[in-house]
Amino acid sequence: MSAVLTGILQAIVLLLIAPLFIGVVRTVKARLEGRVGAGVLQPWRDLRKQLRRPPVRVESGGMLLYAAPVVGVATSLALCVLLPLVSRLTIIPADLFVVVSVMLLSAIAPALVGLAGGTAFGGMGASRHLTILALVEPTLLLAVYALSIPTGSSNLSAILGARIDRPALIVSPVGLLALAALVIAVIAEGARLPVDNPSTHLELTMIHEAMTIESSGRDLVWLELGSQLKLTALVALVGNLVLPWGVAAGAGPGLALGVVALAAKTLLLGGVLAVAEVGLAKIRLFRVPELLAGSVVLAFLAVAVSAVVPA
Amino acid sequence: MNVILDLCAGALLVTALLTVWRRSQRGVVRVIAVQGVALAGLVAVVAARTGDANDLLVVALVLLLKGIVLPWLLDRRLASLGALSGVGAPALDDDAPLLNPTATVVFAAVLSIGAYAVVTPLLGDTGDPAVRLTPLGVAVVLIGLLAMSTRGRAISQLVGFLVLDNGIAAVAFFSSGGVPLLVEFASSFDLLLVVVILQVFTVRLKAAFGDTDVRRLKELHD
Amino acid sequence: MTDGFLVLDLVLGAVAVLAAVGLPGARARAVVAGGLTVLTGAAGVVAGAAALSGTASAPLRIGTALPGIELAFQPDRLGGLFLLLVSGVGVLAAASGIASAHGPSGSRSGWAAFALFLLGMQAVPAASDAASFLFGWELMAAASTALVLAEHAQRATVGRAALWYAVMSQASFALILAGFGVLAGKSGATSFASFAAVDQHSAAASWAFCLLTAGFGIKMGLVPLHVWLPRAHPEAPAHVSAAMSAAMVKLGAYGIALTIVRLLPHGPAWWGAVLLALGALSAGYGILRASVTSDLKVLLAYSTSENLGLIALALGASELLQAAGQPQIAAAALLAALLLCVSHAAFKAALFLTAGSVLHGTGERDLDRLGGLQARMPQTALAFGAAAFGAAALPASSGFIAEWVLLQSLVHATPADGRAPIIDVVLFPVAVGVVALTAGLSVLTFVKAYGIAFLGRPRSPAAADAHEPPLLERIVPLVAAALVFALGLVPGAVASALGPITTGTTGGAHPSEVIGVTLPGLDARLTPLWVLALAAAALVPAVIATVVSARRAPARSTALPWGSGGVLTGARMQYTATSFTEPALRVFDDVLAPTRDVAVTHAAESAYLVERVRVDVSTEDIVERRLYRPLTRLLDGLGVRARGIQNGSIHRYLVYSFAAVAVVLVVVAAIR
Repeated sequence: MSAVLTGILQAIVLLLIAPLFIGVVRTVKARLEGRVGAGVLQPWRDLRKQLRRPPVRVESGGMLLYAAPVVGVATSLALCVLLPLVSRLTIIPADLFVVVSVMLLSAIAPALVGLAGGTAFGGMGASRHLTILALVEPTLLLAVYALSIPTGSSNLSAILGARIDRPALIVSPVGLLALAALVIAVIAEGARLPVDNPSTHLELTMIHEAMTIESSGRDLVWLELGSQLKLTALVALVGNLVLPWGVAAGAGPGLALGVVALAAKTLLLGGVLAVAEVGLAKIRLFRVPELLAGSVVLAFLAVAVSAVVPA
Repeated sequence: MNVILDLCAGALLVTALLTVWRRSQRGVVRVIAVQGVALAGLVAVVAARTGDANDLLVVALVLLLKGIVLPWLLDRRLASLGALSGVGAPALDDDAPLLNPTATVVFAAVLSIGAYAVVTPLLGDTGDPAVRLTPLGVAVVLIGLLAMSTRGRAISQLVGFLVLDNGIAAVAFFSSGGVPLLVEFASSFDLLLVVVILQVFTVRLKAAFGDTDVRRLKELHD
Repeated sequence: MTDGFLVLDLVLGAVAVLAAVGLPGARARAVVAGGLTVLTGAAGVVAGAAALSGTASAPLRIGTALPGIELAFQPDRLGGLFLLLVSGVGVLAAASGIASAHGPSGSRSGWAAFALFLLGMQAVPAASDAASFLFGWELMAAASTALVLAEHAQRATVGRAALWYAVMSQASFALILAGFGVLAGKSGATSFASFAAVDQHSAAASWAFCLLTAGFGIKMGLVPLHVWLPRAHPEAPAHVSAAMSAAMVKLGAYGIALTIVRLLPHGPAWWGAVLLALGALSAGYGILRASVTSDLKVLLAYSTSENLGLIALALGASELLQAAGQPQIAAAALLAALLLCVSHAAFKAALFLTAGSVLHGTGERDLDRLGGLQARMPQTALAFGAAAFGAAALPASSGFIAEWVLLQSLVHATPADGRAPIIDVVLFPVAVGVVALTAGLSVLTFVKAYGIAFLGRPRSPAAADAHEPPLLERIVPLVAAALVFALGLVPGAVASALGPITTGTTGGAHPSEVIGVTLPGLDARLTPLWVLALAAAALVPAVIATVVSARRAPARSTALPWGSGGVLTGARMQYTATSFTEPALRVFDDVLAPTRDVAVTHAAESAYLVERVRVDVSTEDIVERRLYRPLTRLLDGLGVRARGIQNGSIHRYLVYSFAAVAVVLVVVAAIR
């Protein structure tokens, strides 16, 4: 029962933080570029505004156009509950392979919406998005492999627990290599610079925006909120892997600290992300495989080294 | 202590990989500076174990030469090459490798594993954590050779040469627990000489062909 | 119990053949012969289930005209599983065929060959000695060749496809014959039980392994032996290609499992490495080809190559781990292979049957000319979507469970004590990388297949006029697709039934579970139903918010809501299957080696005004181009040269016979 409550708490916290996270990233970027920015609450206001508008849909889309955005946001929300973010106690075991495949599912929803639109941009976005997704997958799973070797389990709660007990795991070469690979994968999966420019609407460069370009009203809200939730959850996961302290061991009063620690880590990493993005330009689409190949090699080395060198 | 040793060794390998992965020549030069620092850190750890005062001099020498002077020289050369051509630097900055970076970096990973497979049995079962890392040094040597043989432009080839040299130094430190000061001094001086000569050579290359792509040298044959 | 149902199976099959040949009207033939074939499959399902559960039974022996040689059928648990699989797919395919088989495939020979094909497929896993196995194998190969040839009068490509298929099937038969021959020569008998006595580290055992792997690899469509697959599957009628892909190729996997689990269970580690590498190559290359092809059935055929590659990879991992002394993880890898087989049977049957429905409804296989079918063929779209879900190994589907078990066994393969052999250190991460890339690309492939064919606007008049097929043809794929989810949501029942196969005779390593899968010794547990429940719970607030919002702001729909900012965007401006995979094609340029041809037609008297630009992108199979084309050219040359032997003179032919007899006599004399 307490696991269910922590799950619900985690979902609510993430729902509150996710748009705020995007707001922080945008505001920090704006300030660094000498602009005022729209304020950290602007993503919230955008979502509220869109939620009130009637969506316009293509007639031939059928049930899919109703269902896909809702299913997409629900899978992202499920991802938030699945990961040990506030507490290491999760409703169902946070198996990393399950996490990765739930992520795949939440990535498919916008692609199908893009294709259902029946125009060029939606297909273009879906095509690019899925190509990158396919290339990210080896990095993700190899990073999972590397993370799971020291504990002998792919359960994230166990991995976090091991990291709290033995902080040396975090700064070991294996841990750093796996983390570097994971960060590149998260950036690609979350459609951030240098893989995708989240603020572009230029047809040559956009990926995520192209898929959602035909959506409006609440459909757009669900797609946007889904991707925000996913990115925030992944960033929070990275935060917890780097600094596993503060994550509650179970239910109870530790949860309050868990929530505060989660918010602090996530928003801090949001600031780091913004600073990094100011100094980066989007790379050409066909250079992305080079970046991802590099991350695959990092993850592969992490696995190979941890198998060769005794821990 | 072992953690720092491992981290420096890891940094050595990752920076070596980065030199074959990145296209930008400037980026590669920055990477080689980081590698120099990592090598110095490595020597410092080994020195701290032996407690030999001479080794501290070696640390200082490595840090100064490989971490600062050589990268600075290369960077300055790149800047002057950019100024020479007068065109926007970014396009010129990218190397034109013979093999695409994706394939090269995968190949480099294979080489690293191969180095482990070949060298580990030769070492026997010593408890020394530094000796255990010898295969990594060999891997860096191999990656340096790979960089030299696949890179198109003179500066990035030079970087490959530096990676090779760092790898040799690392192998020496790992396997013998230190290098006599004189030997290190002599080899560093050699290195400096090579870099200076090659710098002159790149300027000539640029003047003769308007480019630093060493494949142009084939034209001299005709 | 098993033997009784095998007899029933045989009788029903024979009656089905007779009915197919004897009945005059096409409709009556389809119903009676098709119905009897369904029953034949059903009898096989029962027999297989009985054998899988370990029910003891007497062997079924059938005498032959040759003295001293009799066929013996007594499936063990492993055979029972595959008997169950092929029979189950046979039931689905035959049922769908009753509605869909028209023209040549619904003719006398069409139905007779289909019944024989099913009998042959059932004989292979039921066989308990090499001779019966080979009998079933040849029956299956011959009958399926006839079925592939069915529509040769309609399309010129059918003949060539059937030729490729026949040649490769016979090569496969010859290799397996040779492999069994080596083992029989060593052990002195032909029964599978006697083969286990062969010393498994001897050169003979390794020869047998290589020959058998090559022979079964052809049937599995492993790269580079896959060339027949993308030709034969698309040209066969829908229910035949479903049976071929979902059942027949799986018997190749059965053959390899038979070899490394039952015949030669203690082989050296390098066998596992070979299988793993072969599997990884097939999985990666297969899915890459599948992702860039625009022909729906060719896409499915290449995806078969990928899935069977994954099965081979899992079998190889199992063999490697067995040799490394990690029996629990080896059992998990074998379980993964078997789950992949079960899952693939379900979703590939549904996919090929729905591809057939699309072909019937539109006359098109080319994705570039389809589109918008979801509105016109909703049930077919549902079945295809659900099966594609399984093919992409997404959560809650059978494919996901299988891949999860596979990944768990792979990541536990290298213990973190630094003592793993270097080959394992390389192979297992590479295998994980390949499985991951395969998973990612299969998502790309099946989102493409579904999204381009069923979503968007129709890209051709044929697609705009699409219609649903008859009732039975719609229901059967839905049943298969439902199985994909049933297996995915209650995998424990399946896994615990398969458990005794993976752990040999000891059994009980996988506790009897229903909804979850636990891998003993691996610290891994998965209950997909809870994942689904979690997703459903997460759906609740989203649905409530949607309903509240919909009450305030009802949705509007128009033919073209935003049109990417324009109004005149025609259906031709949509992304097609070809353009959809253009990025992937460019990323994997070195592997796929496509040829691009751009022809620009200028307007008259102008160097600047372009009238027309035509781009041809051809993605020919490079294995075929680089490996098989030189080979066929060589064979052609030899054939031309061999023509000189035949000059039509009867005297010369008599001399040949005379010489042959003389040589045989000399050889016999020399050996004795």
